[in-house]
Amino acid sequence: MIDPRLQEALDDERDPAELPADLRESYARLRDATALLKSTPAMSVAARVMAEVRQIPTPVADEGVVRRLGHWLGRPKAVTLRLRPVWTLALAAGLAAVLLVPWSGGDSTPTPGAKQGLARFVGHFPGARSVEVVGSFNDWSRGTLHLRDDDGDGIWHGDAVLPAGLHEYMFVVDGERWVADPLAGRYVDDGFGAGQENSVLIVRAAAQP
Amino acid sequence: MTNPPSDGSLSLVNNGAPTTPSDPEVVARVLGGDAEAFGILIRRYEPGLLRFATRMLGNPDAAADAVAESLVRAYRHLAQCRDPGRLRSWLYRITGNRCRSHLARRHTNDVSLTDAPAPALTDASDTWAVLERGEQVALVERALATLPEEKREAFVLKHVEGMSYEEMAAVTGARIPTLKMRVHRAREALLVALEAYV
Repeated sequence: MIDPRLQEALDDERDPAELPADLRESYARLRDATALLKSTPAMSVAARVMAEVRQIPTPVADEGVVRRLGHWLGRPKAVTLRLRPVWTLALAAGLAAVLLVPWSGGDSTPTPGAKQGLARFVGHFPGARSVEVVGSFNDWSRGTLHLRDDDGDGIWHGDAVLPAGLHEYMFVVDGERWVADPLAGRYVDDGFGAGQENSVLIVRAAAQP
Repeated sequence: MTNPPSDGSLSLVNNGAPTTPSDPEVVARVLGGDAEAFGILIRRYEPGLLRFATRMLGNPDAAADAVAESLVRAYRHLAQCRDPGRLRSWLYRITGNRCRSHLARRHTNDVSLTDAPAPALTDASDTWAVLERGEQVALVERALATLPEEKREAFVLKHVEGMSYEEMAAVTGARIPTLKMRVHRAREALLVALEAYV
């Protein structure tokens, strides 16, 4: 344990010159190390960031809670069905047949591995040109999990084999509108400090035959 | 004559004296449709964010990725920044979260922080001095990398980035007494590690 006098000196609460010789040496060692760590790496990401920023629609000023709530209530809501263990596949497929008919994607359902599960994303976005899912499982990168609306009825769907465990996700509609799943059941703070939340999905490992 | 600010953000003139736009002013410009104004914020905060991420990740390439991803996320969610006057804290918070994600993936892949290469430096002109200083930085970074993630973050924010405990709390979400304890413990551990590496 460090001598409290050294901690006080490092907190600028004591004059380092008042420290005994051995503590002054420790103080100097930490001070010198800190000075080295203050070196700024010789690199820049400015061009790379601005190139990407120019491809993104300009963010709009915050509308306020009441107007945001009004817009949220007024816009289409996503409905997500998630199939976890394989034994629920038949039940969920039956539900999908009732809710989403006609849909012919069942034949291409991917098969989960030992520590994976199947996630099925379904959202109702009439008039959308594209819908995709971004989340912790794809490093929040677009272009990896597109939903489909083959018959143009506004119901977008897609399957993904994901590692078993907890994932955060959001829908991205038309490449610009990020929409949390209102029926996700679980949410977590998105880490931006503005009270916004990501949807949470728990994928359980598929039962093995 | 007043020199223009290094971030190239010179834009306001008052009685002939150039002034630098504040963070809230720049944020308002961006949210008003001037995407290029985001470059002002990048130039203003990029050096510190890169230094922070490099110290957290111990690898300049990974740090560049984390900072680039963080800045793009910040742009995308700029309207959600409740207090543009504390933009720096907000950017560090986003970058800290990205660093944690990178570290989590790295732990999964069993890659050691202490295997990281020494970073390039900007503040030395002589080649030998750069090499020598680079080796010193690498040694100190190895010592820093031995600290647990939370203690390393607290030490870097306090002593490298020069933040107050209040700002550190805004960045990390941790309480001030907790942060003080982390900094104290980090100093103890770093002293021990420095004796082994330096």
